[in-house]
Amino acid sequence: MAERDVLETDVLVVGGGPAGLAAAIRFKDLLDAHNAKNGGSKLEASVMVVEKAAEFGAHNLSGAVLDPVSLQELCPDFDAKNAPVSTRVTGDRVYFLTENRSFRLPIVPPPLQNHGNRIISLNQLVKWLAGEAEKRGIDLLAGFPGAEVLYEGDRVVGVRTGDKGIDKHGNKKGNFEAGVDVRAKITILAEGARGSLTKSLVPRLGLDKGRHPQVYSIGIKELWEVPKGTLPRGEVIHTAGFPLEEDTFGGGFIYGFTDTLVSIGLVVGLDYKDPLLDPHGLFQRMKQHPLVKPLLEKGTMVRYGARTIGEGGWYSIPRPYADGVMLIGEAAGYLNPARLKGVHLALKTGMQAAETALEALIADDTSAAKLKAFDDRVRSSYVKDELWKTRNFHAAFKNGLWFALPQLGLQEITGGHGLEDPLEPSAGYAEMQTLARYWGGGLGKDSFERPKADGKLTFDRLTDVYNSGTKHDEDQPAHLHVADPNICETRCKEEFGNPCERFCPAAVYEMVPKGDDPKQERLQINFSNCVHCKTCDVMDPYQIITWVTPEGGGGPRYDDL
Amino acid sequence: MKIIVCVKQVPDTETRIRINPEGNGIVDQDVNWVVSPYDEFAIEEALRIKEAKGGEVVLVSLGPDRAQTALRNGLAMGADSAVHLKDAAFDAADTMGVAKALAAAIKGIGGADLVLTGQQGVGGDHSQVPGLLAGLLDLPQVTMAIKIELGEGKATVTREIEGASEVWETALPAVISAQKGLNEPRYASLKGIMAAKKKAIDVKDAAALGLAAADLAPLTTVASLELPPARPAVRMIDGDPETQARELLRLLHEEAKVI
Ligand SMILES: Cc1cc2nc3c(=O)[nH]c(=O)nc-3n(C[C@H](O)[C@H](O)[C@H](O)COP(=O)(O)OP(=O)(O)OC[C@H]3O[C@@H](n4cnc5c(N)ncnc54)[C@H](O)[C@@H]3O)c2cc1C
Ligand code: SF4
Repeated sequence: MAERDVLETDVLVVGGGPAGLAAAIRFKDLLDAHNAKNGGSKLEASVMVVEKAAEFGAHNLSGAVLDPVSLQELCPDFDAKNAPVSTRVTGDRVYFLTENRSFRLPIVPPPLQNHGNRIISLNQLVKWLAGEAEKRGIDLLAGFPGAEVLYEGDRVVGVRTGDKGIDKHGNKKGNFEAGVDVRAKITILAEGARGSLTKSLVPRLGLDKGRHPQVYSIGIKELWEVPKGTLPRGEVIHTAGFPLEEDTFGGGFIYGFTDTLVSIGLVVGLDYKDPLLDPHGLFQRMKQHPLVKPLLEKGTMVRYGARTIGEGGWYSIPRPYADGVMLIGEAAGYLNPARLKGVHLALKTGMQAAETALEALIADDTSAAKLKAFDDRVRSSYVKDELWKTRNFHAAFKNGLWFALPQLGLQEITGGHGLEDPLEPSAGYAEMQTLARYWGGGLGKDSFERPKADGKLTFDRLTDVYNSGTKHDEDQPAHLHVADPNICETRCKEEFGNPCERFCPAAVYEMVPKGDDPKQERLQINFSNCVHCKTCDVMDPYQIITWVTPEGGGGPRYDDL
Repeated sequence: MKIIVCVKQVPDTETRIRINPEGNGIVDQDVNWVVSPYDEFAIEEALRIKEAKGGEVVLVSLGPDRAQTALRNGLAMGADSAVHLKDAAFDAADTMGVAKALAAAIKGIGGADLVLTGQQGVGGDHSQVPGLLAGLLDLPQVTMAIKIELGEGKATVTREIEGASEVWETALPAVISAQKGLNEPRYASLKGIMAAKKKAIDVKDAAALGLAAADLAPLTTVASLELPPARPAVRMIDGDPETQARELLRLLHEEAKVI
């Protein structure tokens, strides 16, 4: 076997989203400032960012309305430097939808007020941040997923990047290139929601002890090119109700991103009960609603994507540090569920981790005791303020929208306490009910019918997948590991009707005939369609699906999402 | 042994191409630019020759600023140095202009023992530059190489032809263009990428190559460019196998008119 390269760096950031890039940029700025002050005793320190996408930004998808507070701190002159955040919010509307009607809320609930915010494409912002990082001489390595955490005892000492050039049977191809051990004094995990390394590290180090399980939603989004004048640039619309049933958490968003580009999406709580629920299909129905259709019908869809969002809030955040490691951004769960905003907290916690990292390197102490300063920074900043006020937000929806509304009102008045504090959520997948329980046995898997797509306003999943630009080398092992495919063919089919066929927004999972008997089916994994949303890893009711990083560079291309 | 590899940056084949309003080119925005796959074969081959026989690999690319990414890619794979030909005057150049600039650059760095190119630049697919280059440099040329063996002052090249292959021998230096099947290009390694950041790219404009506007005046121009017609939607045939077979037969006969 080819010898594995080892690379050393002081700070290694895994994941080049807003959190990871803010950490790297802040670290370099602080280091330079420190060295300018201490001419005599300069600290030589390197920072490296590894990102699984072929290019920075390609895997970053968001709404997004940005609260610019932390961008302002990271790059005070961001407007002058042409950060792609020039669309200011000019109007805020909230609607409650029934199947055919819409009711505009007379006032916009405080968490949804967006005055002073910007409508952005996270993809564009990340590209810009990568440019800023590059200017500072930071080592940016796109196409290199962190595949494994390296430990010495319980101390994190870096990350092994993924191997390249392995064929679908697991054999090395002629161009095999072994992953590299990147050893670092401090590793910062910035993988975003449901990070694959974070997922294994948190329980291993017991960082989730005493915390609530994270609860997730899936956000599905399309970008539409529409004639000028269709929706004012800067207009923000949020919807509740249709197409979601009252027992399902979530809502829609429609943003006037530019004069001719509309961002539209639907967020569906991944703690839904109906095993036949189909988030992608619901999103198609949302577009047919009389409020929405007129905004799109003269336009064309240009991009598609999906991504999970960790909405558990404060109580779901694990201890964000251990020996040699910190967790930032949505990898840890820093997202305000009431505002559905995580970008500003990703940037801020990235900066706070950078501040802590520099202190630790100067003191030559990267132990958990030293890195605890990161948590202290979080707790004494607006990150905690915001998350504390909304700490029971998602949990309030446990019994549906109508029970949630009065509780949310009370939370608003009591600074987040509400009736009960903490309200304990259960893991989302555990909420899914069996076909027999939810549909009283009357309905089987066969009764599910995928809505017909017209190819103009509504699309089937394969058309949408095409528009996500996703691509993986087909000659590699599937990066979706199903621990026991037998369960899919037997128990799951019977009990839940193979919900993976519906919750995956990219048609990756498909039950296909096994032989001549049409009743016998086996699971086929069309992994090259995967858009890295992580929904399957979250929502599979038996928790037997594990998403691992595919060969570096594979995945979606979220231009302007 | 000094090997020069000519590298072109082209749109990724997955890119959704949009035609510009003038109808004679594509819209650059949102295009994912990559090293032309045939050029990757050429780079890989150069690196293998260098690994076997020693020497140096120099990359040359003509294009706007973004072409540097393609050169960095090649440097990360293991090439030693790179020359970037950049000038607004190149924008309107056709294949002849490009070949003149490349030839001037190759002469400018003292020529080479071997010049490798891809057999075509994906996208434009002219396949003209290698031939023009050989002409301008007054060197022998072998195209469509799927195997290259080097001897003393000569190379034995297997080239792909329709349904067969043929073997040629050529004196060196020569211009050899790479076809798919020549090799399997390596991935740029993490160490390679880090090392590539420290390698300098030499930028040259038309004046530095001794070329005047008249030298670059295009002999051919693109009159118009069109996207292929949209493909009709896939039609699924329902029913039991017999009905399906009948319906398929009918459709092939009556609608597709292929049988
Ligand atoms: C539909 C939707 C709408 C949203 N709307 C808003 C909004 O309006 N306002 C707002 O503020 N927030 C919004 N959010 C939330 C916001 O997008 C996230 O909170 C934010 O992107 C988190 O940033 P991050 O850097 O932590 O993670 P991400 O943006 O997810 O970035 C993580 C990066 O790490 C990479 N990565 C992951 N694992 C690995 C690995 N193992 N190795 C290498 N690289 C890896 C990924 O490819 C990615 O580039 C929305 C989210 C969604 C899905
Ligand atoms: S396979 Fe899983 S991660 Fe990939 S698109 Fe489907 S649900 Fe998302």
